Amino acid sequence: MESHSGIAAVVKKTLNRRYRAERRFRRIGLAAVAVGLLFLAVLFTAIVSKGYTAFQQTHVLLDVYVDPDVVHVGNLDSADYQGLIKASLRELFPDVKGHRDKRNLYKLVSSGAGSILRQKVLEDTSLIGRRIQIWVPADDDVDMVIKGHVDRSLPESQRRLNNKSLAWVDALKEQGRLEKRWNLTFFTAGDSREPELAGIWGATVGSFYTLLITLSLSFPLGTAAAVYLEEFAPRNRWTDLLEVNINNLAAVPSIVFGLLGLAVFLNFFGLPRSSPLVGGLVLTLMTLPTIIIAGRAALQSVPPSIRDAALAVGASKMQAVFHHVLPLALPGMLTGTIIGMARALGETAPLLMVGMVAFIVDIPRGFTDAATALPVQIFLWADSPERAFVEKTSAAIMVLLGFLILMNGAAVFLRNRYERRW
Amino acid sequence: MTTVGEIRAANPRMTCRQVNVYYGDKHAIKNVSIDIGRNEVLAMIGPSGCGKSTFLRCLNRMNDTIEGCRVTGTITLDGQDIYDPDLDVVLLRAQVGMVFQKPNPFPKSIYDNIAYGPKIHGLARTRSELDQIVETSLQKAGLWDEVKDRLKHPGTGLSGGQQQRLCIARAIAVSPEVILMDEPCSALDPIATARIEDLIHELREQYTIVIVTHSMQQAARVSQRTAFFHMGDLIEVGPTDRIFTRPRHSLTEDYITGRFG
Amino acid sequence: MKKIICVLGMAVVLGLSQAPAATARDYISIVGSSTVYPFSTTVAEHFGKTTPFKTPKVESTGSGGGFKLFCAGVGVQHPDITNASRAIKPSEKQTCAQNGVREIVQVKIGYDGIVLAQSKKVPAMHLSRRDIFLALAKEVPDPSGAEKTVPNPYKTWKDVNPQLPDVKIEVLGPPPTSGTRDAFLELAMQGGAKSFKWLKELKKKDKKLFKKIAHTLREDGAYIDAGENDNLIVQKLEANPNALGIFGFSYLDQNADKIQGAFVDGVEPTFENISAQKYPLSRPLFFYVKKAHVGTIPGIQEYIAEFTSEKAWGPEGYLADKGLIPLPDEERSKMREVARKLEVMPME
Ligand SMILES: Nc1ncnc2c1ncn2[C@@H]1O[C@H](COP(=O)(O)OP(=O)(O)OP(=O)(O)O)[C@@H](O)[C@H]1O
Ligand SMILES: [Mg+2]
Repeated sequence: MESHSGIAAVVKKTLNRRYRAERRFRRIGLAAVAVGLLFLAVLFTAIVSKGYTAFQQTHVLLDVYVDPDVVHVGNLDSADYQGLIKASLRELFPDVKGHRDKRNLYKLVSSGAGSILRQKVLEDTSLIGRRIQIWVPADDDVDMVIKGHVDRSLPESQRRLNNKSLAWVDALKEQGRLEKRWNLTFFTAGDSREPELAGIWGATVGSFYTLLITLSLSFPLGTAAAVYLEEFAPRNRWTDLLEVNINNLAAVPSIVFGLLGLAVFLNFFGLPRSSPLVGGLVLTLMTLPTIIIAGRAALQSVPPSIRDAALAVGASKMQAVFHHVLPLALPGMLTGTIIGMARALGETAPLLMVGMVAFIVDIPRGFTDAATALPVQIFLWADSPERAFVEKTSAAIMVLLGFLILMNGAAVFLRNRYERRW
Repeated sequence: MTTVGEIRAANPRMTCRQVNVYYGDKHAIKNVSIDIGRNEVLAMIGPSGCGKSTFLRCLNRMNDTIEGCRVTGTITLDGQDIYDPDLDVVLLRAQVGMVFQKPNPFPKSIYDNIAYGPKIHGLARTRSELDQIVETSLQKAGLWDEVKDRLKHPGTGLSGGQQQRLCIARAIAVSPEVILMDEPCSALDPIATARIEDLIHELREQYTIVIVTHSMQQAARVSQRTAFFHMGDLIEVGPTDRIFTRPRHSLTEDYITGRFG
Repeated sequence: MKKIICVLGMAVVLGLSQAPAATARDYISIVGSSTVYPFSTTVAEHFGKTTPFKTPKVESTGSGGGFKLFCAGVGVQHPDITNASRAIKPSEKQTCAQNGVREIVQVKIGYDGIVLAQSKKVPAMHLSRRDIFLALAKEVPDPSGAEKTVPNPYKTWKDVNPQLPDVKIEVLGPPPTSGTRDAFLELAMQGGAKSFKWLKELKKKDKKLFKKIAHTLREDGAYIDAGENDNLIVQKLEANPNALGIFGFSYLDQNADKIQGAFVDGVEPTFENISAQKYPLSRPLFFYVKKAHVGTIPGIQEYIAEFTSEKAWGPEGYLADKGLIPLPDEERSKMREVARKLEVMPME
């Protein structure tokens, strides 16, 4: 009895210490999570607060007289539509005289305004000879002023818009001709040097084609390799060497895969430069090790008793693997694949070497067209001098993050939905 | 070391001669020779780690899947050497079924658990034949009444005892000639154990059964012959009632009287 | 699962069969300098919009990378035009010639100024190239006047030159891969080094050693490698009024409300001064055309015509809006002729 209570006392003493250690550990863990979340929050607020304005674009309402002398059935395609836009601006501000001032006046609206008008006229030729109202995007400098990204109180010489231009902007605003509208262009256009005309659709399509190639090559190849190595390959020095190399490849800087792609796919096979085909092949090389490693881990996590059970009823090795082990490992493999894909989606360095870091206006229409990818677009915009690209960059990051969250969410969903616990 | 008792059976289904098993350098089974008779239940007893499971796994070559495991000697099934390189292991395992120590149903429905073996071996030509096999197998395993209304439910959702009976049903669904059972009742309560023991009694009419057990009472209840292993050696083998009443070897006596192990 | 894989597989097969791998290219492929990239892309976009041709593809590979690709050979897989923020080197010409690229048209398009910019919150600094060299070189001439170098002892601008303010030397600049950095080293650092007589003589005797002295920047924190992103440098300068940043004139031009350029050798970095070649830290910009591709790849000549038109590269043109500093009138019309006639440059 005595010795019993003695033990209780001893245990009690250590018990307090143990609980204290546990509490301390929990607090540290919580703090770590909090710091992580804080950084994430800072990152997100920084990006969102900078980028949300890009989803709106200042537009100008113009009364355009579609002059039949300028536009007629013979030259619908190539008429001087920008000239019509200019004429309507002159009408709005009839007092503007002199070459310089006129040039500044024309600069209030985007140089893409003409092609918007052209589109409208092409759709409906009955507009010719009529006076129409049309919203066209304002120039990025005007956009920046309206959005308050430029300090108007600075001396004139230090602003991109001079006093006269500002006065015109104010006049337009007063007349209700200036409005921030939903920036559809951003989601439907390819790249442009004019921030107000630039969009991410081209890059998104490029990323889509690239990832399609990557997925359809790396998933079957990666799965097959993982299954072979894990279930069929003999364990010897060669397979050990192979394993070490695969693990090494997973850690190789991605630019190296770009160099490899340059040497093999472009220079040796002569595949088209800047194409999603080559980009996808390079990213396949990059994601394969990740997928193989994740796949092997998933296969290893299937309990051996399942294999034994299948073998014991007379399944062949192949049947045991494909009927029982692989279906159980598949959610894990898919998770690995999606994470690999997400990484591929965010990659720029290897694409640089195969020419996908490029200015491409046209939306790619196939696997061999010239294309860029989303992160490349972000990189290019971040490097552009025009102020308006700053918000575009953040907005593009938001879109990319959206895709990444979607993909990683899918990975989590798949895991929770199909993962079996034993 | 020579085995005490009669290793031969009158009408052997399987014969094992000078079987040695090595795990790398470890000599796990040492020169074991024994027959397994037709329609008999052979119980294998012995202290933990003596090699019972290892020996059992030799009988359907499940040791093949273990890295670094080597088997020498001869084992025959109906006169055919099962370690003959020309012999197909898949065929062997269809003839020699196995029930494991821990129930390991496939994470599929109860129905699919049973139907899997017959399906891959092509034992049923039609759906109704397959249904029939599933039903009789479950009936033989004494599980039919409990699960007949939920054949589409996952097999992993059953209780431990039910799962073990499911595994037995799965083994007998492919109509093997020999069934190997590795401590099939170790995780079960007395009632479930009794059911499985009843089941073994019934199965003996058609099958040859080798059962590993730690329970002397169980061995006495279900088996006709008993083999006692100790540190890789087969110490003694003989009719069950004789082994438990008049053991000839001192180690056997020590073990069954509970002096060690 | 199987279905998904099947669909994916089919999609790829369809995609691959839709275009044979090595087709003739129907768009112009342009590579090269990141400094010229904003101008080249602007022209490309205009060209794509106003002509029936496809919009050219412009890659930003750096001047050196551009020449490497450009000189790799003749054929659709090689670029047609490369942009450069410096003239082609003899060694590059040699590579070109070896690979069959013998007819190259060189077009000078304008100037870029390297500016040392600072926040508008403080008065503009007046620096000489000598000050810049002394402030940023890893090894500087011994202050005692002896003809040897010592590790850079200067902490503040005042240490360098008593007329300068007493603030810590802090300069944010581009990384070694950047063309802007090359230009800065060549124009500012070498220029400053040459203001020491013995170093100037050293250049004649031991060019390598001279280059090493002039081109090695401090690594003690006074020079900060700020990465390729110039927009980031602009933000950092705003936050830290004592710091200077090195970048191309177009950034100054676009961000004139936040930053100003320091005077160098008494000259302010303005459009006019750079154009008139008064500002010392300016460099010419070029593009090079592979003549063998003209006629094979559609639109090359038209692209060149667009680039060299007054509405593009003239003083009032849209490239000036983007920060390009135009050539003087006379040089411009000369260059336009070269471009129009596709006059090949001598290869020796
Ligand atoms: N895969 C293996 N690798 C190496 N040694 C093994 C392996 N499996 C079993 N052994 C060893 O072989 C010997 C026999 O093991 P076995 O599993 O056959 O014992 P057992 O009689 O079934 O014991 P238990 O009653 O505890 O199940 C033990 O010493 C064990 O450590
Ligand atoms: Mg065992």
